[in-house]
Amino acid sequence: MAEAVSRMPVETLETPQPESASLPVAVLDRIVRTFGPTLANDDVSLSVRPGEVIGLVGANGAGKSTLMRILCGVTGPDSGTLALDGRPVPFRDWSPAAARRSGIRIVYQELSLCTNLTVAENFYLEEPAHGTLSPFWRARYRRFAQAGIDAVFPGSSIDPGAVLAGLPLGQRQMVEIARAASDPKLKLLILDEPTSSLDAGRAAQLRDYVGRRAAQGISFIFISHKLREVLEIATRVVVMRNGRIAREGSARDFTVHSLVELMGGGTGAATGSAGTRNPQAPAREILRLGGALTAPLGREVVLHAGDIVGFAGLEGSGQRARLHAIRAAHPGAGFVSGDRQRDGVLPQWSVLSNIGIGALAGKPLASLVVREEEAETARHWAERLRLDPARLSSNVLQLSGGNQQKALVARALARRSDLLLLDDPTRGVDVASKHDFYRVVRQSADAGVAVIWYSTEDIELLQCTRVLVFHKGAIVRELVGAEISEESIVDTAFLHEKEGGDPVGHGGNAAPAERRHNTAGLLNHAIPLIGLLLVCVALAALNPAAASLFGIDLLLSSAVPLVLIALAQMFVVGGSQIDLGIGAFAGLVNVVSATVLTEQPALGVVLLAAGLGGYAVIGALIERRRIPAIVVTLGASFIWLGCGYTLQSAPGGMAPDWLMAAVNWQIPGLPTSLLLILIAGLCGVAVNRSRTGVVLRGFGNNAAALEQGGWSPLRYTVLRYVVAGIFAMVAGLSLTAITTASDINAGGGFTLLSIAAVVIGGCHLLGGTVTAMGVTAGAVTLSLIGSLLSFLGVSTDYNAAVQGLLLIAILGLRTLIERREDGAE
Amino acid sequence: MTALPAYRPAPSFFQWVETRRWIWSLAGIVILWLVLSVLTSRFSLQSLSGVAASAAFLLFPSLGQMIVVTTGRGNIDLSIPSVITLSAFLSVNIVDGSDARLALGLGAVAAVGLGVGAVNAFLVLALRIPAMITTLATGYILATATLLANRSFSTYRVSPALAWFTTGKIAGVPVIVLAALAVTALAAFVLSRTVFGRALSAVGQNRRAAELAGVPASRVIALAFLASGVAAGLTGALLSARAGGAFLDMGSPFLLQSVGAVVLGGTLIFGGCATAFGTLCGSVLLVLIVTTMQIAGLPGGTQEIIQGVVIIAVLALAGVAGRENRR
Repeated sequence: MAEAVSRMPVETLETPQPESASLPVAVLDRIVRTFGPTLANDDVSLSVRPGEVIGLVGANGAGKSTLMRILCGVTGPDSGTLALDGRPVPFRDWSPAAARRSGIRIVYQELSLCTNLTVAENFYLEEPAHGTLSPFWRARYRRFAQAGIDAVFPGSSIDPGAVLAGLPLGQRQMVEIARAASDPKLKLLILDEPTSSLDAGRAAQLRDYVGRRAAQGISFIFISHKLREVLEIATRVVVMRNGRIAREGSARDFTVHSLVELMGGGTGAATGSAGTRNPQAPAREILRLGGALTAPLGREVVLHAGDIVGFAGLEGSGQRARLHAIRAAHPGAGFVSGDRQRDGVLPQWSVLSNIGIGALAGKPLASLVVREEEAETARHWAERLRLDPARLSSNVLQLSGGNQQKALVARALARRSDLLLLDDPTRGVDVASKHDFYRVVRQSADAGVAVIWYSTEDIELLQCTRVLVFHKGAIVRELVGAEISEESIVDTAFLHEKEGGDPVGHGGNAAPAERRHNTAGLLNHAIPLIGLLLVCVALAALNPAAASLFGIDLLLSSAVPLVLIALAQMFVVGGSQIDLGIGAFAGLVNVVSATVLTEQPALGVVLLAAGLGGYAVIGALIERRRIPAIVVTLGASFIWLGCGYTLQSAPGGMAPDWLMAAVNWQIPGLPTSLLLILIAGLCGVAVNRSRTGVVLRGFGNNAAALEQGGWSPLRYTVLRYVVAGIFAMVAGLSLTAITTASDINAGGGFTLLSIAAVVIGGCHLLGGTVTAMGVTAGAVTLSLIGSLLSFLGVSTDYNAAVQGLLLIAILGLRTLIERREDGAE
Repeated sequence: MTALPAYRPAPSFFQWVETRRWIWSLAGIVILWLVLSVLTSRFSLQSLSGVAASAAFLLFPSLGQMIVVTTGRGNIDLSIPSVITLSAFLSVNIVDGSDARLALGLGAVAAVGLGVGAVNAFLVLALRIPAMITTLATGYILATATLLANRSFSTYRVSPALAWFTTGKIAGVPVIVLAALAVTALAAFVLSRTVFGRALSAVGQNRRAAELAGVPASRVIALAFLASGVAAGLTGALLSARAGGAFLDMGSPFLLQSVGAVVLGGTLIFGGCATAFGTLCGSVLLVLIVTTMQIAGLPGGTQEIIQGVVIIAVLALAGVAGRENRR
């Protein structure tokens, strides 16, 4: 297959052409970007000509990703200019959407697909313009997706109708690439580690495709750690190092070894010298690494007090996973993460409290906080880290990144453990603070602490006394003392990648997630149907009359409102939220339709419309003010109830004739309520499968990706609640039609039932995985369980308990199954 | 994510208020009381003591709710109303009007609260079911238990000691109000001066960061549910003594009101920041609002609408402050 990669067409383009003949697709000029005081891009210029394939390489932390994020409008630079087709574009007008309009696309390593949607639906989210107004848009997008995938990966067996979650990671990556590549406006496609989960054949197909499209004038930027692959595919290679371009030139002028040298060698150690363990320190053993982890090394690795051990290797080779595994096994260890927002700062607190919690966390919960002691601890560590004690009373967010990091290191040291774990600790920290940090790490080690240090910047590992190089989740080499240099680290990591031949994936963490949905997924699909079947059989066995036409109609008539409310709840759950007021709202509609709508139809319609308006406001409040949906809807439930009481304080009222007529029809031989339930279920299915429904479900799964794709979260949250409100309204109307009266308290009980029906129906409370048919079956099952209990002579008192237990049992069972499958990996 | 807010010296007044969010509810109480005193001759110090007594009953479950809410991640205890009602039935029937059996009754009620809290904590932590669904479901199961209790018990006698505790006065001040003040002080002390209080706030701000810092997050969350369960259980016993018996739906108002008192008092609904004094003020304010509506002769339905609107409005206004503290 590799022979298919012809470099002939690109060779011709490679010959230098006069600048005027072909204007560059994009030119970044003198880009500077700092994160805090760190220079991620330091005066970088990059020009992309039509039909060019640029291989962008560099060690971890060299600034490749930042440069690409600037090119795609995700990040803005501090200074520098951008020009497209020779036309300058100001950065304030530059955004992911603008980049997309200009035909610049990027495929990230972290996929931006919605895993709860099908392949074709994901293509729709990307390119919604194709299917406008056609009722057969799904078929159209299936063909579109198929064509897009076949263009890049001919012969792939990816079914455009398959749900992403069911596809292996490699196929998901193929979909992601094909989706971006199918953009008709495409001019420049940036591929960030595109082959990390592809097998050799697919990687060759991708290279082939890149070659063909480049011949047609499309440009590519290809970022990869697989240097041989870069040299095969690229016409020009750009090597980045420490935020600058170290060298660029024709791919023919480079070899794998020269690239490795450029990425790691050259200026030598820019910071400090490699530390060595104080030989006088007693070599107390702290930790031992062995088993499969060190199998390639052929021996165990023992960590002693005073060691600073670096975890190196290409990103995603299992270093971080191992660090966290060590943390889990040693809960007393100090831990510092470079992701301060996510893993570190407690944003409401002062610096002092942020440090103090490190010492307090180890004490019994009932013990008292002595403020003087806490302040003394904080001051002690702040001084050792050269953190200005005057800042201790400031809120931690008011500190710079470097000082925040010092506070977090102080917190970890305040634990006084003999093991300190560092998870890429200096990300976004300025040079001076980094040096303070290095000094403190050395001092801690000298004081008898064993330090394990995972870094994404290879140069930092020069601070270590020993470096363990990871490859595919195992330690392949140990560098000690003088052996530690940037060259040796980069060398070992990249040469192993090269020798690895055609790697299937990065580390071991790609594959295991694949089959996890199997049992749980099967169970989710089977539960609603099996449950329904069991309940039906039991009902028919207990009371044969239940199986008659009249019996079925009677039993199912009370299920109609529940099915509708459950479907309403499903739309809210599809956005990973829950509506605690949905039952009360249906109850209010019940009251309005049996009173005002009967007596003054016009006013009734206005009131119902106002109710839907209320739902729109709820959606807007939740999205705009970021208030938890449960509290807003809980508050709203009291508003609905209050309105209901105001309209009608005691049960009563009567159903409008037209509403009665809507449910009192009959097709001979078929139970009407069964038909009504099927219609309701099919409406739910239709909404979920509609274009709007696809976007709504997409938001529930990967809101960030949709927002970046240009979909408005506000509009779709409001829409979600309005759709839910409409289904709940129809439920309220059906309640009126079936009971021919109204009772404001009738609706309240439906709230828990609707959640239970959604859960039984196989939906996930998080992640946007919902199924209307499952929810319908779940709602009918729940409704019939009530009848079953009364057939069995169980008092209706027990209904609530049975419903609650059922809900807990199903959710608990699901967690246990998922956990077992996780554990089995 | 990488862009960190620069140091902004905030105006000192706003900063002062920001750390004392209970100010708003206290101001609300004062203004509402002044307006009522001026507008109606019926409002006096005596009626304030009535309001305070009602507020005390709301305070106890609200403090429990506050602790659960402070654990963050949208955690909330919706089983409070059912625990209150069931406990009311149990305490009335176990104590059966005898002071000698009071300890037994209170013990039973506390055990119910602890049991429900333990079940909630197990389901949330071990089975990873969202707190909201867990507590909603346990609430339903307890509702059945209450229905059964309602069928099988029929006593309406109250222990004299408990009756004195809930309706008696010392020097003109209701005993229950003194108790409420003491419990508020205790809760404030626990929140600000114990390791548990610190750990609770840390977990609520960022559970992941708290765990990485060594805070036993699961234990803290479990204790929060236990505290809420016990508080609701004891409230049920106290309410039954005041009302002279137990009845179905006795706890229902506490579903929204416990959340309302917490939110009005300035505790962050996102977690991490609790104020016991604020919850006290929030309870008083909420009861004062309800009392005002009753004096104004508003029908029950309207009262519920206003409560719902007030709580959503306060949340919407506080939402910004809360969001700035999130990522």
